[in-house]
Amino acid sequence: MKKTNLWKMAALFLLLVAGIFAVLFFARFRKRSGTLSDEGSLHCTVSIRCDTILANMDKLDPDKKELVPSDGVLLPETIVSFNGGESAFDVLYKVVREKKIHMEFSDSPMYNAVYIEGIGNIYEFDCGDLSGWMYSVNGYFPNYGFSLYELKDGDVLEVMYTCDLGEDVGNSYKPEAE
Amino acid sequence: MRYRDAFSGFHPINNFLFFIIVTGYTMFVMHPAVLIISLITANIYHISLKKEKAVYFGALYMLPLMLLAAVLNPAFNHEGVTVLTYLPSGNPLTLEACLYGAFSAVMMISVIVWFACYTEVMTSDKFVYLFGRIIPSLSLVISMALRFVPRFIEKFRQIKEARAGAGEKGNAFTELSVMITWALENSIDTADSMHARGYGSTKRTAFSIYVFGSKDKELLLWLLFCGFCLICSNAAGIYEWRFYPTFKGAPFSPVTVFSLLIFTALCLTPVFIDYSYDKH
Repeated sequence: MKKTNLWKMAALFLLLVAGIFAVLFFARFRKRSGTLSDEGSLHCTVSIRCDTILANMDKLDPDKKELVPSDGVLLPETIVSFNGGESAFDVLYKVVREKKIHMEFSDSPMYNAVYIEGIGNIYEFDCGDLSGWMYSVNGYFPNYGFSLYELKDGDVLEVMYTCDLGEDVGNSYKPEAE
Repeated sequence: MRYRDAFSGFHPINNFLFFIIVTGYTMFVMHPAVLIISLITANIYHISLKKEKAVYFGALYMLPLMLLAAVLNPAFNHEGVTVLTYLPSGNPLTLEACLYGAFSAVMMISVIVWFACYTEVMTSDKFVYLFGRIIPSLSLVISMALRFVPRFIEKFRQIKEARAGAGEKGNAFTELSVMITWALENSIDTADSMHARGYGSTKRTAFSIYVFGSKDKELLLWLLFCGFCLICSNAAGIYEWRFYPTFKGAPFSPVTVFSLLIFTALCLTPVFIDYSYDKH
């Protein structure tokens, strides 16, 4: 009798732990809608470019050559409406879903930061070891993830592919630039 | 000596070479047609070897494993130009990731099934015969270690039955403890026995009655021919295939079809041999 009680307790405990993990798992998934709502009262300009690859074609993964547009523009400057409190990532995500542009990202809840791994199947490290996606707002390169930057009305969000750790898109990590 | 099938009766070098070529090609050539042919022929041979046991093995273990492996890739990999739908995390589910998952699952399962056939055909005495001179102690250790798996399973069953007969309730931990005690004692017995028979006192010889006959010669030539053709066709690039960012590869040409036919014929060689021997 005692033994069966112990087993039941253990099973219940394990079930509870599994439940907590399940909640943690599903809590990761935020609500993300893929449609651009016209109701947003604020407006910003979004563009996605990978023109730095054009000068570094020799370094590009040969399988990806056909994906690079001849002018390097994946998304021309587009005016997007959004609501207050939405981050650069929220706006970018809505745009790529609406325009049917492929995008893969990884979410790190620990830092509340979203990292863009690839847009339009052009991934980080596809064009040399120093390549990847970066973003700038009004020409300024924030040193943190997309999802932490809260956009304001009239902001210009530029998402750019760099082949040289940001040097070729206008961001340098030199100490005097701080 | 009774063999499982006619192919097992051939010289060990033929048995070994066949599995090396077939599994090697399946593992290293990531081409959809090659993988599908390999999966089908591996199962045909496995069924011809083990009859309904092979069907159970495939349906109960291999099929679920294949489905699991096929689902895992698109869950974590989102590369590919054809977006099918979006996953709850917000990342896209792409056709290319699904195809890559499916074909890598096919590759994994066909290699497992080929190795299931390998263990039936390449018995440990054949392995020791082939490698006993090159790596004497290692081949002995390998053949002894491989022998432990079926032995332990059998002993475990005996212990379970003995305990059930004594009226003890099933308890995996106690059964395992009994088995480990038995295994330790058994290894000391083995060591004593080997010592008593003079192991290590001089160079070891092995008794074998494998004769390399004219039939073996023909088979060896056929295997070498297939191996040569397949390596050449792979080096020529007709099996190049990419899964990302789009699913495409070298166009199918008459050479590709001919090469695939050779591969199919090679994979089915043991089944053909068995069939022709049955008729006589």
